[in-house]
Amino acid sequence: MPRIQLGTWVNDAVDWLTTHMGWLFDFCKTVFLGLYDGINAVLQAPQPLLLAGILAVIAFWLRGTLAGVLAFAGFAFIDSLDLWENAMITLALVLVATVIALVISIPVGIWAARSDRVSGLVRPVLDFMQTLPAMVYLIPAILFFGTGASAGIVATLIFALAPGVRMTELGIRQVDKDLVEAADAFGTTPRNTLLRVQLPLALPTVMAGVNQVIMLGLSMAAIAGMVGTGGLGGDVNQAIGQLNVGLGAEAGVGIVILAIYLDRMTSALGTQVSPLGRRTAARLRAAQGLKIWSYRPRPAVAVIGVVVLALTAGGMGVLGGGAGTEAAANGKNVGQGKKISIGYIPWDEGVASTFLWKEVLEQRGYQVEAKQFDAGPLYTSLAQGDVDFQTDAWLPTTHAQYWKKYGKQLDDLGAWYDKTSLELSVPSYMKGIDSLADLKGKASRFGGKITGIESSAGEMALLKSKVLKGYGLDKEYEVVDSSTPAMLAELKRAYAQKKPVVVTLWSPHWAYNDYDLKKLKDPKGAWGKGDGVHTLSRKGFADDAPTVAGWLKKFRMSEKELTGLEAEINKAGKGNQQDAVRAWLKQNPGFADKMAPVKDTGGSTPAEAKRPLDVAWFPWDEDIAVTYLWKNVLERRGYQLNLKQMDVGPVYTGLASGDLDLNFDAWLPYAQKNYWDKNKDRLKDLGTWYEPTSLEIAVPSYVKGVDSLEDLKGKADTFDGKIIGIEPGTGEMDLAKNKVLPAYGLDKEYEVVDGSTPAMLAELKRAYAKKEPIAVTLWSPHWAYSDYELTKLKDPRKAFGEGNTIRTISNEKFPAEYPQLTKWIKNFRMSEDELGSLESEIKNRGQGHEEEAVAEWLRQHPDMVRRMTPQ
Amino acid sequence: MEIEVHVSARLQAESLYKVFGRRPDQAVRRLRDGAADRDELRAEGATAAVIDASFTVEPGEIFVVMGLSGSGKSTLLRMLNGLLDPTAGHVRYDGQDLTTLGDRELREVRSRKISMVFQHFALFPHRSVRENAAYGLEVQGVPRAERVRRADEALALCGLAGWEKSWPDELSGGMQQRVGLARALATDADLLLMDESFSALDPLIRRDMQDQLLELQQKLKKTIVFITHDLNEAMRLGDRIAVMRDGRIVQNGTAQDILLRPANDYVASFTQDVDRSRVLTAGELMDTSVTADDPGCHCVTATTGTPFTELCAISARLSHPVSVVDEDNKLIGVVPLQRLVGFLGDERDATPEPCDSPRDKGGEKVTARA
Repeated sequence: MPRIQLGTWVNDAVDWLTTHMGWLFDFCKTVFLGLYDGINAVLQAPQPLLLAGILAVIAFWLRGTLAGVLAFAGFAFIDSLDLWENAMITLALVLVATVIALVISIPVGIWAARSDRVSGLVRPVLDFMQTLPAMVYLIPAILFFGTGASAGIVATLIFALAPGVRMTELGIRQVDKDLVEAADAFGTTPRNTLLRVQLPLALPTVMAGVNQVIMLGLSMAAIAGMVGTGGLGGDVNQAIGQLNVGLGAEAGVGIVILAIYLDRMTSALGTQVSPLGRRTAARLRAAQGLKIWSYRPRPAVAVIGVVVLALTAGGMGVLGGGAGTEAAANGKNVGQGKKISIGYIPWDEGVASTFLWKEVLEQRGYQVEAKQFDAGPLYTSLAQGDVDFQTDAWLPTTHAQYWKKYGKQLDDLGAWYDKTSLELSVPSYMKGIDSLADLKGKASRFGGKITGIESSAGEMALLKSKVLKGYGLDKEYEVVDSSTPAMLAELKRAYAQKKPVVVTLWSPHWAYNDYDLKKLKDPKGAWGKGDGVHTLSRKGFADDAPTVAGWLKKFRMSEKELTGLEAEINKAGKGNQQDAVRAWLKQNPGFADKMAPVKDTGGSTPAEAKRPLDVAWFPWDEDIAVTYLWKNVLERRGYQLNLKQMDVGPVYTGLASGDLDLNFDAWLPYAQKNYWDKNKDRLKDLGTWYEPTSLEIAVPSYVKGVDSLEDLKGKADTFDGKIIGIEPGTGEMDLAKNKVLPAYGLDKEYEVVDGSTPAMLAELKRAYAKKEPIAVTLWSPHWAYSDYELTKLKDPRKAFGEGNTIRTISNEKFPAEYPQLTKWIKNFRMSEDELGSLESEIKNRGQGHEEEAVAEWLRQHPDMVRRMTPQ
Repeated sequence: MEIEVHVSARLQAESLYKVFGRRPDQAVRRLRDGAADRDELRAEGATAAVIDASFTVEPGEIFVVMGLSGSGKSTLLRMLNGLLDPTAGHVRYDGQDLTTLGDRELREVRSRKISMVFQHFALFPHRSVRENAAYGLEVQGVPRAERVRRADEALALCGLAGWEKSWPDELSGGMQQRVGLARALATDADLLLMDESFSALDPLIRRDMQDQLLELQQKLKKTIVFITHDLNEAMRLGDRIAVMRDGRIVQNGTAQDILLRPANDYVASFTQDVDRSRVLTAGELMDTSVTADDPGCHCVTATTGTPFTELCAISARLSHPVSVVDEDNKLIGVVPLQRLVGFLGDERDATPEPCDSPRDKGGEKVTARA
């Protein structure tokens, strides 16, 4: 048989399509993303419980009381799992894919129902779409549509289209021929026959198709997490990558709740919209009698309920003060009446800086609105884009949790005040206690208690995990979880009675003005460097208002200036903040021009930092470490990094298509050879930052007498003839199968089992727990070596070849677009110690705390930032 | 009813052909030339459903097309309103050739001039009884209020007043078909095509519906083409009957023609089981060789329309043949008892023969013809 070069043809076709049909794909991408952003914005806007309420009312209307109650409980549960945002992303994705799928599939279904030729043509295409493995088109989808939501939508669409078309065709075809003839006999036009006879009667079947479209879409949306769509699929993907069964289960349950809700709602909707379904349901109800659990409000009532909740949701966003506006100073009207909204937390430095900016921006011709929030809602509003910026973000420690949650939707415009510190404090009447070390052995005086604040606060975590241990206080003292007001009340009470007390505090804080307190010294630097007070903006603010963003980036205040302004504001009292600011500005002439220079709009950051970088990462330890490290460091230099977690294939494809900018974890020249070779023309290698690495076969150390690959010979029985492999097609697997086993004469005895990295790790975990013999393909560095005691089998014949190096790769345009960054990356190196300590820091902090871990690690490696990004 | 200016009939079918399958035009040509018959064509993949069908239907007439299933009668019917396009031939309705009309004009004709009643009712299950009855009007674009009024009138005419808001599946078969009839009547179309409309009903209900149709016809005087496979029904309803076999009309005539003068054995075998007593009337039975200006006696007489059963009753009371008179009381024929009995036994011109071995030596029996 001649070899038919189907693969080559497909490659050529894909290349041709990407070069010649780019405009079409771009158009689709714009449409998809527009729809997706719109729906996502609507879903993300309201408070989670309000939206849950709206969804519950819909369930109440469509299915009855019980369904309404369960829907609310289900969505509240998702919210309580902290998955709300991701669930809404997934929901938006599914809804967009469904809408598009229906827009395509229903007309095609109708067409197929009316023409046998079309039907015959469409059917094999549908079979093709439904059975082609998702991975096969998921990766090309990136080539055409880029990573993220649009590729996910397309993959979902392809998968979910078929049932829509099939069910529509079936529904119309199964309408009684007599009825169609009757319509015809009365002179009905074909269009009206379709609209008045065929579609109404086919509706139950069509709705079953819609239901199927949604269900398939949802299952695909989870898989599409692999190409960086985020949402619950992203969580699942990440959980699998890290073998985090718990997180996987949470995200999985979230998907199930969404699925059940959507399934029940669409099937009920099917009954509601079809006249026959309505009649059947009505008859059933009449037969059953009215029951509270199946009571359904009239549509009007339900609509009113939804509207009221929606208005409430909308209203909440609008709440918050709107102060008057001042006319702009002549000649300095840069803003031209452009609206800017600032959010602030009612803390002294927040109020001061916010009203300062409000005044200055109004002088520059902007219309400024200042809204007061609690910290949480402020970050939410900022992330949702309701607020343009806020000036009171304590990073990286205090607001770490918010930053973790919303960081991706925010831009950090830099710190304007960096003299803050975290500390333990005692009243100054506590003689002999001046440093943390002095607390040792004095637990009895303080009742063994340190009065803490909210357990969720970054400071508390730092205190418990680092500071106390650092001074050996963790056995003696207990940190009492409480709240800031309670801590302050406790301090006030103790201070009044001159009793011993030690509290968790931070600077600047008014407590230092009101009471005579001593900050306990921290000679070991356990608290780390203090937070900076940062200005954060919503994503894209810098593009919308580059001038203001430039001013904000350059904004700095000294302690004297800040305290002076705060004092002025305190004197003026609430409601007169802006007058106080004006007075203060009069005393500090030129300050406004320094803050908002009219002509100079440049920033201290390189010009190339304007565009956010899309950095893809694999859920592998070394990549998490290096990616978050670069994120931290580059953000100090004014760059913005969007991190996208993806699989290897999609990353290479995304880089090659120019959709992604960077990946720091390219194992070359062997392990990822296939991907590299395929795309190397459109990729750039920015050099090695870590070596050496190695590929190997490993066995648990309890398997005695197996230290080298040669030792495996004749022991196939022990290992059941299997070496547990990873993803087929990876460089390591090819090497193991084609080189290593033959080199040691093991190829007759052993089989390398294709699987996946998570599956291999799961198998290793299982075998390890039972102390069963097992041989796995592994590589170094890998966390498995720290979690389990494993023996890397020696490879005296060098069959695995020399080690890979870990390199940074980028798309081909990157070096030209980012000359500065390219230089930095090319010079970047990490030692095994550095990488190891960073990885363990991240691992200790747990998933979701990567940024804190990196910040902490950088504190311990103070020269790293300068080494990575010399200026 | 408006008086037609056309001399021609209301509906006229001119040598209609319908061939399904391959090369229909060629098939028609060969059928016309007698070069091929139906079976030969079938072997070649063409099905001749209707072959050379011609007939006329007069205004106010019920024209029944009767035949077994597969005889092509439904195909024929569907060519009359253009649901099927004839392969050859013409359909003229009020002088207009429907086969030359475009889709749009044809739909217009169907919506305003020709309506149809179906075998399995074909009511729209997602519409109420009223909405079903109003369907044709909706298609015509009649405003809602008038639509409802006319639909309700049509329903009342069919005995369904009070059921307007019900749904089709809540009605019995007979009632459903009344809705179908009302739907057809509501459009005020003059031509009603009825496709085995009563075949799916129980025999008793079928009879009721036939009666109702005849009653409505007396009032409305529509032109009706009625398809059936039931000869009894054809005889009851049809002013004229066309019998179809294998796509051809084998006989076209009144019920009596079919019954008494079958065109061939096929038709004759059809009529064998017919209860003649229900169909035959004095006009068919009488001996027309005897005529006079008056019946000659004051005994009960019959008219040409007097049914067979009644003739028997009259005959039993008389000692001489029943006289048949016309409107002017002129004697146009007589029906002797022998003839009555003979017709029952399919013996048309029974002449009594003397008995070979009489049981008693009575005088000669009176056998004289009146």
